Amino acid sequence: MSWTVVARKDFRDALRSRAFWGVSALFLLLVVSLSVAYAQVDELSGGDPSALGLVFFIATAIGVFVSIAAILTCYKSVAGERESGSMKLLLALPHTRRDVVLGKVAGRTGVLAVPIVAALLVGAGLGTALLGEVAPLATVLFGLVGLLFALTYAALVVGISATTGSTGRAAALAIGFFLVFELLWDTVVIALVFVANGFVFPSGPGALPEWTYPLVQLPPSNAFVTSLSAVIPDAPGAAAGPGPGAGQVETFFGTPWLGLVVLLFWVVVPLALGYRRFARADL
Amino acid sequence: MSALTISGVTKTFGGVTALRDLDLTVHEGEVFGFLGPNGAGKSTAINVVLDYLTPDTGSVEVFGVDAQADPVAVRERVGVLPEGYSVLGELTGREHVAFAVESKGGSEDPADVLDLVGLAPVADRRAADYSKGMRQRLAFGMAIVGDPDLLVLDEPTTGLDPNGARFIRDTVSSLRDDGTAVFFSSHILDQVEAVADRVGILRGGELVAVDSIDGLRTAAGGGSRLEVTLDADPSPARLDAVRGLDGVSEVTAAGATVTVACENRAKAAVVDELRADGATVLDFETSETSLDELFARYT
Repeated sequence: MSWTVVARKDFRDALRSRAFWGVSALFLLLVVSLSVAYAQVDELSGGDPSALGLVFFIATAIGVFVSIAAILTCYKSVAGERESGSMKLLLALPHTRRDVVLGKVAGRTGVLAVPIVAALLVGAGLGTALLGEVAPLATVLFGLVGLLFALTYAALVVGISATTGSTGRAAALAIGFFLVFELLWDTVVIALVFVANGFVFPSGPGALPEWTYPLVQLPPSNAFVTSLSAVIPDAPGAAAGPGPGAGQVETFFGTPWLGLVVLLFWVVVPLALGYRRFARADL
Repeated sequence: MSALTISGVTKTFGGVTALRDLDLTVHEGEVFGFLGPNGAGKSTAINVVLDYLTPDTGSVEVFGVDAQADPVAVRERVGVLPEGYSVLGELTGREHVAFAVESKGGSEDPADVLDLVGLAPVADRRAADYSKGMRQRLAFGMAIVGDPDLLVLDEPTTGLDPNGARFIRDTVSSLRDDGTAVFFSSHILDQVEAVADRVGILRGGELVAVDSIDGLRTAAGGGSRLEVTLDADPSPARLDAVRGLDGVSEVTAAGATVTVACENRAKAAVVDELRADGATVLDFETSETSLDELFARYT
């Protein structure tokens, strides 16, 4: 299969990026510090540290790392090759533009997987050492959802990269996405509530309308954490999906499985849109 | 079946018509040189063949396969050396060739290919650190992997020293002897002249001439240039008489030296005419009309 050839080349190539290894080293350091902190500091673990609790504690750290590392390694994946002209050399060989895009998603997910798996093993090892207990199933499931999350962000940023032949614009779009959908999303939701409520802030308990709950699930990193609660049995209450009064929402939109649906959305839609633009572009 | 057929291709970029209703055929096993001044549209034409660009109208077929509909099938049989490319990321030269071999399902050993193009000593260096000439050799090596039936080369001798250029020329010749068709664009007329079976001249997006080089010479009205040095300046009447001969296209004189552009069959008549008044021929030089002059004549 042609895209596997591209994937392998891309994996080998991205693995050599120094920026990536720098970020990965920092991430590993972060995981170690967080694990130690969680085990030692009562405030963080609510007085009752457990291996499962540790897993969810570092989930947010993984969310941040993956999104930043993905943007770093993927924003130039298509746009950069078009800009430099190496896309011409790539397409001089019998690969379709679809092979190129899919191969890059696969290759870069593979690269992102390396530090995730390493951190997980380190975290699990530390957890065992410091807490004297193991949560093997939770750790493995966490790893799988983590890899899905890596795939999501890789596909998302490669999709963004495919829409343009300028690395400047690709970077701007990727950073813009991160700002709006990750950093500032809560503000966006509040703003929408404000507008929908007649330009007045709602007040009192249960004041936020039901539709804010699924909306808050939209950012990939939130969906990641929500998916964890769906997938891992006995998820600690503190880790249940973020958002207002999640327990009050009875419909599907209240279930943690929404997280997986959202992740799937982010894998498919930006990539499809980006690929379509790329497929028709003049090089 | 022809190796390459371009039919009625037009391509416009933001108001500028780069190619205008282009029709061109490259036969199997022939070497076709594509000439033209800068901006004539040569690279645009090649980019359409490679599906880097979509034509506004017209179609391109490579061995009967539509290049826009099935570019992968085309590239499985075609070796490509594009222009304005850059090397792939952090990969070494060897990894580039290995990638090409794997992509084309070839069976070559990358080491052999690198040896052939003279890159064996630097095979494991990052291709991004190569000199321009080295990169061109690498890209050429990648193009000939997998025994293609057609080679499409855009300015293949760019960045190469004379040895490198000769290597390309010799390889193209031997590939043609093996039955590979070659379609290449170039500015360097000596290279084209040495190796091309037929030549096409593109100007302003239109093909203004397609023929063998000899054919172009004849069509341009001159197969030869004669430079005849007489013992005395010829009279204007004498020069007019030479001009009037059948097959003579141009006569100029500088002192006692007369330069005549004419067809080969007229050479003897020209000399006879110049001696008609009893003049003696002191010196005599003939040469074939160079491609340079033909090029200038058409563009």
